[in-house]
Amino acid sequence: MADASELSGGEESQEELMTPAELIAKLEEAWLNEKFSPELLENKSELVECVMEQITHMEENLQRVKKGDVKASVHRMEIDRIRFVLSSYLRSRLQKIEKFFPHVLEKEKSRADGDPSFLSPEEFAFAKEYLANTEVYLRNVALKHMPPNLQSIDMLKAVPEPCLDSFVFLRVKERQENILVEPETDEQREYVVDLDEGSQHLMRYRTIAPLVASGAVQLI
Amino acid sequence: MDPAEVEFLAEKEMVKIIPNFSLDKIYLIGGDLGPFNPGLPVEVPVWLALNLKQRQKCRIVPPEWMDTDKLEDIREQERKLDTFTPIPSLYYMELTKLLLNHAADNIPKADEIRTLVKDIWDTRVAKLRLSADSFISQQEAHAQLDNLTLMEINTTRSFLLDSLNYMYKLRSNLQPGRSQDY
Repeated sequence: MADASELSGGEESQEELMTPAELIAKLEEAWLNEKFSPELLENKSELVECVMEQITHMEENLQRVKKGDVKASVHRMEIDRIRFVLSSYLRSRLQKIEKFFPHVLEKEKSRADGDPSFLSPEEFAFAKEYLANTEVYLRNVALKHMPPNLQSIDMLKAVPEPCLDSFVFLRVKERQENILVEPETDEQREYVVDLDEGSQHLMRYRTIAPLVASGAVQLI
Repeated sequence: MDPAEVEFLAEKEMVKIIPNFSLDKIYLIGGDLGPFNPGLPVEVPVWLALNLKQRQKCRIVPPEWMDTDKLEDIREQERKLDTFTPIPSLYYMELTKLLLNHAADNIPKADEIRTLVKDIWDTRVAKLRLSADSFISQQEAHAQLDNLTLMEINTTRSFLLDSLNYMYKLRSNLQPGRSQDY
């Protein structure tokens, strides 16, 4: 079972111990990254589970406290705040799944065995159902009235892909050297920049996508 | 991002309060707070400070930078330089607003502070608009934006990013051989 202290920091080789406070900080990072990245990021279901456990645990304790206790009200306020971040995080993932569902499912299909899944089991079920329902809907309202040769639709082509060339704002958490900046126009040349720790930048998501995944930069 | 969400993040900042009640340590998920003793200053997150203040259980000690002399210096600096000056708090605008709206009676010269912070904000946002303008007209692909706060970025985020994305689409459609988005 997942517990705050058992959560590893992404890589299985090095088991990192995390305090509940660090757990919440990680959740907030994941929340902001998910909010600002144009594509769906890797799921953090382990993190979500740990936070849920913390909240449930705290709520159980609060059941036993009598009404009107000052401390309990402070705890409730904190829980409400964490819950807000958690649901906002999950909601922004669902929004992206609804927006890019064929591509999300395609990515999931082409993932090699052993690679971590981008979707949690629940999100995967949701995406599949969403795809099926959309197809049924389109068939019922339009496609079945079309000539037979026009009745099929390729969802991958019908739904726009996430635009990885979007610009994003980011803050650097670990210094990075030689990040290639592609030119905007044909007259310009490409060049490299160093990203110093703590500095903030505006650039294309595609260039720094791996750094977001590894946690070296934070989208803001 | 909704401005309220930026404010939500600002509410995590720590602020000193002087409670008028006593209470043991509170073991929150995000860390321990207290103990609270009447008259003894203690650090708590802003969300709790405002709640206690509203229930008249504490006095809020304004952050060090929330001081007319210091803010005047920053305003001068900000007007003199073309770049963004380092700001004492990443959430200066939100904190000023929150604390002045809910605890103005604990902050000396509250009205002056409000004006000063507004001046600083206006100067910075004007600079931000100027640099966004030159970023677009020079078709840059990268910009460094140190010392900009989240709320400042937020004022221009959707407008700037959407325009950049549309311009990119228009341009990549102009150049044959580049793939289109749809």
